[in-house]
Amino acid sequence: MIQVNHLTKRYAGRTAVDSISFDVEKGEIVGFLGPNGAGKSTTLRILTCFLSASEGTASVAGYDIYEDSIKVRQHVGYMPENVPLYPDMRVKEYLQFRGRIKGLRYRDSLRAVNEAMDICSLSEVDHKIIATLSKGYKQRVGLADALVNKPDLLILDEPTNGLDPNQIRQSRELIKRLGERHTILISTHILSEVEMTCGRVVIIDQGRIRACDTPQNLIRRLRRPGEIMLEMQGDGDKAAEKIGKLEGVKSVKKTETGNRWVTLSIHTDPNIDAREDIFGLVTEAGWKIRELASRAASLEDAFVDIVQRPSGAKIKEEADA
Amino acid sequence: MRAFFILFTKELRSFFLSPLAWIVMALFTFLNGWLFAGMINAMRLRVSSRSLVYNLFDSGWFWMGFFILFPLITMRLFAEERKMGTIEGLLTAPVRTAEVILAKYFATVVVYLVIVMPLFFFFPLFQWITGEQAAFQAGALWGTALGLLLVGIFHVAIGTLASALTANQLIAAMLTFVFVMLHYFLGFMERFGLVSGSTWGEGLSYFSTIEHMHSLTEGLIDSRPIVYYISFAAVLLTITHHVLESRKWRT
Repeated sequence: MIQVNHLTKRYAGRTAVDSISFDVEKGEIVGFLGPNGAGKSTTLRILTCFLSASEGTASVAGYDIYEDSIKVRQHVGYMPENVPLYPDMRVKEYLQFRGRIKGLRYRDSLRAVNEAMDICSLSEVDHKIIATLSKGYKQRVGLADALVNKPDLLILDEPTNGLDPNQIRQSRELIKRLGERHTILISTHILSEVEMTCGRVVIIDQGRIRACDTPQNLIRRLRRPGEIMLEMQGDGDKAAEKIGKLEGVKSVKKTETGNRWVTLSIHTDPNIDAREDIFGLVTEAGWKIRELASRAASLEDAFVDIVQRPSGAKIKEEADA
Repeated sequence: MRAFFILFTKELRSFFLSPLAWIVMALFTFLNGWLFAGMINAMRLRVSSRSLVYNLFDSGWFWMGFFILFPLITMRLFAEERKMGTIEGLLTAPVRTAEVILAKYFATVVVYLVIVMPLFFFFPLFQWITGEQAAFQAGALWGTALGLLLVGIFHVAIGTLASALTANQLIAAMLTFVFVMLHYFLGFMERFGLVSGSTWGEGLSYFSTIEHMHSLTEGLIDSRPIVYYISFAAVLLTITHHVLESRKWRT
């Protein structure tokens, strides 16, 4: 659906996007992840033909972004960052205007607008003036705008920016549902969102692609020992010594000693789950366990790890080495 | 063409659904009504060899209103869209930049025509109320209508360009104000003694709105101003197109 080939965008004295390449297949939901100022919005603006690249090529829905700019725009539903809308228009009127300039005929536009309002649960505010809507509603109007002409591809730039946790959860559900019908490229810096909705993640930092994989793989590749928490009753020092000898355990640290309870923090090889062995060892010795939990690495850990690496190093290359 | 009509309608709607258009229209009509009454009074006191139409459109007071009218109706065209960010949605929709510019431009020309239209009711209204023949001929009114149309075509194009240059409506308004005024005073350079010599003076008189209006208000239709205003408007709109397209390449 999207092919990006060595795309570069230079602003006066600054390279915002530095020779990036990635593909998005039909039906995928791809998360475009990066810290603020990483070049996410610039890339999305190039793909939607709002900006031109300095170098490189890209094609969207099979059309070149320079040669067939109008065709590209017909096949993309784009929701810009901060969701700009005309504040003096009414919701239905606005969506209909948008549907019409995207090429829908009058009669089709009526049906399409009603459908889009249904999907985005906007029906109860269809006659309200956009300026009077809350942020969450405005966001949904933007989304309805993006999908009103049923484009193959949705490009959403930080769709949950500025929403409250409840609204973020709702819009996540909505995006997941939309993913059944559309290919989606979604930019964000909210990691949990990507982890839950996206099949694949492209991590970009300082204009370069630092990683491109499924969230699960990114976490798996994370070179960071697994961490296990053990809270037990018994001889803490002796337990620490014994556990330290188990296979895959790298280090054991006694972190807290209550009146009778001891907490151990155990670092292990990320590929080995030592919890069963630890459980067996502790119960054999006749000690009691109150808690035994592994703190799984999250996408957040992977993201921080990737972004904080010296630039130029790609996680993929490291994993291959 | 389809997108043009949709955008054109939307633009007109947003003009007439906002209070701005109505306030401008009311004040402009009030100003000109007052001027019209004043002019009739002046002609009653002093004998004039010119017609009422000529005198009305020759007066600097009349053009004063125009210096303010054009900035007011054009400043929001692109500056507002840029400020609000809605230009991003507009130009990522499958429409050509030229369609967007022309739709906004022609909608504004229509708004301008609606605003100046009451002017033409003054003359029959005067005759109807007083039962007297005002001192002018029908041809003069047609010439004036053409003149005002041409002036509108040209100045709205200036305003459209100014509005595309900045995201700040106030700056767009001031740019338009200065250029409308400068263009108007080009016709006075000789009178002010700023240029001398017949070549310069004559050359500048081709650009002079007031000179054009002189011949048109006498019912004399000259093709030169028609070509001048329309071709300059086309040049200005072409520059606007380049300005909007250049955003793609700039920071």
